[in-house]
Amino acid sequence: MASSSTTLPDKDRAAKTHFRIIRFIMEAGVKLGMHSIPTATACTVYHKFFHETSLDAYDPYLVAMSAIYLAGKVEEQHLRTRDIINVCHRYLNPGSDPLEVDAKFWELRDSIVQCELLMLRLLHFRVSFTHPHKYLLHYLVSLKNWMNRHSWERTPIATASWALLRDSYHGDICLRYQAQHIAVAVLYFALQCYGVDVPGNESAETEWWKVFSEDLTRETISCIISELIHVYTMDTEIP
Amino acid sequence: MDKDLVRQSFSYHGPTLLSLVKCEQHDHAGFRQLLGELSKWPQYRKERNLDTIEIQQFIARKADLLFALSWKSNVRENAESQESSEGCYAVMPPLEQFMEVPSTQKRELFCRDVERGDVVIGRITSIRDFGFFMVLISMGSGILRALESLEISALCPIRDVPSQSNHGDPLSYYQIGDLIQAAVKDIDRYHEKITLSLHKSSLPSHLSHLKLGVISSEDMPEYYKHSTAFSSSSDTYEKVLRQSVAFSNPSTVEFLLSTLGIDESKPPSLIRGLQRENFCDQDYAPFLRRKQSSSWALKCVKMGVDYFKLGRHVDAMNEYNKALEIDPKNVEALVARGALYATKGSLNKAIDDFEIALENCPTHKNARKYLCQTLVERGGQLEEEDKLLNAESYYNKALTIDKSFMEAEEALNKVRQCIQKSFEKREKHEEKEEKAKEKKIETSAEKLRKLLKEEKRKKKHKKSSSSSSSTSSSESSSSSSSHKKHKKKRSRKHSVSSSRSRRHSSSAPAREDEQLTPPADTSASFLKQGDCRIYDSLDRSHRKSIEFKSRNRSLSSSSLELIDPAGGRSEDSRDSYSSAKTHASGSTSKSAASASKYRPSRRDSTASSSTRAEGKYRDDPKDRHKDSKTSFSRKSDSYHRKYSMSDCGANERKPCDGGSRSREQSLQRSANTSRKEAPNGNTATSKDVPGNLLNILNQIAEFKKEKGGQTKI
Repeated sequence: MASSSTTLPDKDRAAKTHFRIIRFIMEAGVKLGMHSIPTATACTVYHKFFHETSLDAYDPYLVAMSAIYLAGKVEEQHLRTRDIINVCHRYLNPGSDPLEVDAKFWELRDSIVQCELLMLRLLHFRVSFTHPHKYLLHYLVSLKNWMNRHSWERTPIATASWALLRDSYHGDICLRYQAQHIAVAVLYFALQCYGVDVPGNESAETEWWKVFSEDLTRETISCIISELIHVYTMDTEIP
Repeated sequence: MDKDLVRQSFSYHGPTLLSLVKCEQHDHAGFRQLLGELSKWPQYRKERNLDTIEIQQFIARKADLLFALSWKSNVRENAESQESSEGCYAVMPPLEQFMEVPSTQKRELFCRDVERGDVVIGRITSIRDFGFFMVLISMGSGILRALESLEISALCPIRDVPSQSNHGDPLSYYQIGDLIQAAVKDIDRYHEKITLSLHKSSLPSHLSHLKLGVISSEDMPEYYKHSTAFSSSSDTYEKVLRQSVAFSNPSTVEFLLSTLGIDESKPPSLIRGLQRENFCDQDYAPFLRRKQSSSWALKCVKMGVDYFKLGRHVDAMNEYNKALEIDPKNVEALVARGALYATKGSLNKAIDDFEIALENCPTHKNARKYLCQTLVERGGQLEEEDKLLNAESYYNKALTIDKSFMEAEEALNKVRQCIQKSFEKREKHEEKEEKAKEKKIETSAEKLRKLLKEEKRKKKHKKSSSSSSSTSSSESSSSSSSHKKHKKKRSRKHSVSSSRSRRHSSSAPAREDEQLTPPADTSASFLKQGDCRIYDSLDRSHRKSIEFKSRNRSLSSSSLELIDPAGGRSEDSRDSYSSAKTHASGSTSKSAASASKYRPSRRDSTASSSTRAEGKYRDDPKDRHKDSKTSFSRKSDSYHRKYSMSDCGANERKPCDGGSRSREQSLQRSANTSRKEAPNGNTATSKDVPGNLLNILNQIAEFKKEKGGQTKI
């Protein structure tokens, strides 16, 4: 992450804010029943938006809500604004009753829709992304067939790598690395965590991760992994 | 904690991880216990690259989540038949083929990983007395590996070959080179010897649909085809993946997640704040929506009740309906709407609402109370209509809901007595009835005749002074001809007209019931009604209405003479009355004008009708011709009125009427249009409403009018 290498306090603060907002998107996504792909799109839209502008100009929570709304449309999992508003309102005001459907509510809804339009224009209407998810799943299936069944069943590699991939959106990894590279890196990381070696990797002509993505280097993998670890460090720092 | 998993990771990462975990997870109960045992385990591991220290730190910090038992994927080997998974994801050639793992190792790993019950596909290489040998080329289930180059041979002993039909020797059915699909029965991992079986019983239950024995090359698994294709082309993994059509299938993700055992409704995460346990069920969207909807609906109900108290029943109804649209099972809204229906006399609707309310909330006191009362009231209605058995069932229903409801009990007893009596009487009645019927018909016919004679006499007297009379024998005849077709529409029109008439003569609201219930004896009640109307309009416009009155009488007589089916005609002519009244009650100058407009054409039609009917009038063919035209144009006119209630002007109708329109007609039409302009939106709304709602709608019209009056003031 750019902010971690340069120790500018501003950038660090921004990264922390983004972490918090993405966590908000993730939580709202779970409560809205959003799938992983729309959630990933929402996060990417969010990151891209603040890549173009500064945090001071817009309310990040509103941007996040609009990103959720837009992602639902882009990925064809339509979410209703009323649900988005309810869930987000409840998140920001824990334990409160849902908003009454009155003028204030409709204004809030309008601002989400307006913000969505703004985001679209700022992103030049390019809001469909290649996510690592699909790659990762296919890698997992290939690996599953090659690994020992018992070893696979014992180790929750699929779940762990899926969690790592979802969590990676808390930073802006998705903007700076190829989808395939991220997919391989989280899989590599998950295997490392559980101490699993891919069988025959050492004697093979091509290492398994090189198979999945030819232009990937070990350095890139460790870069992504260390950025991921940085994301989790923020997790401990931010309440 | 998953002990095996922790051990696996620790033995991989070495003692550094152990100390880190000890440091990070010291207050985690599960780990404290585990760590005691862990220190006894032998630690062995070669040195790793430097970057693993970071990773180890991470593992230590997240150990409680990473090794939680809940993460273990619990995927059962579900029946992955070829059909269901086809096209759902990109089937890839085996990974080891891309990695180019040496064959010896591949072979070793296969023999280690293959399990009893796996399905393998191979080619028969030799057939002996004790069975046949085959070389494995592909897997049919489980681990999909590349086997073709491995030269693994397996034996299928003769006792595991089911005999085919009546051949003595089961092996004679097979030939060298046959493709065989078989189940693995036994593996000697050390000697790398595999025994197969062709018996279905050796298959695990989820694969029992597979066919064992000879297969064709088309039945080969998809991955095998890709594998052979790959070995000839040697593309990269990514290229093969991207070329697959299934890769761009958006439902791939969903499918693979389920096969890999990841639950999207509880997505895994290593972020502390995103653990599923921290989320409260009441923060989820469906719950919040429900809560919001019910409070929103309650707000509407409250507003509705306020309207109701002010007597604005229409607004109240709107609010209740809105509430029920927002929250279809809102008990308060249902009870409130039921109560409104009940006060408006739509007892059946009220009962429906109360019943649904009670279904959703069986303890709702008001719903119960109102339902009982309404049931009894409805029972009383039915009793009056002489439907005693139905009434009884209503009372019974009320009693089953509330046993202590005295009114219902009394009414029930009463009705039972009545039923008893009527049962006794029935036999006598039936005998009498037939006779009575015949008599009745005679008498009514006589009465009619008398009446008609009287009319004729009157007409003769009036002919000289005002030959006006019958608005439209032609109209009534034309409409009677179209009567059957447009029964429904007519009833709508009727409602329109009645509401229209009420707007102008709100002085007699009590008449609405009379209007709505079809009169038993049409001719008599019709006359009565007509008179009533005319007296009513008499209040407003004096002189003209007298003319109308006489006209009405003559109309009714002449139309009776034409012998129309009863029901619709009265409505139709009523329509014309009301329209006449509309004019009458309009601004005086206008009414005068319109009345004068009406007259000529009417004279015409009366003339013709009387010509036809009585044959006393002068027989002018021209006149008659004109008349038939009139009737035609009127017919079309009436159609127009039905289909395009308010929006068609005189110009639009021109092509329909044709050029042969007389001046009078055009005059009248303009009068019609002016009349048509009078009704406002009401008519449009009443158009789409089923007939039994008419009652309410009429009232609504009244209220709207009142409301309008209020606002004006």
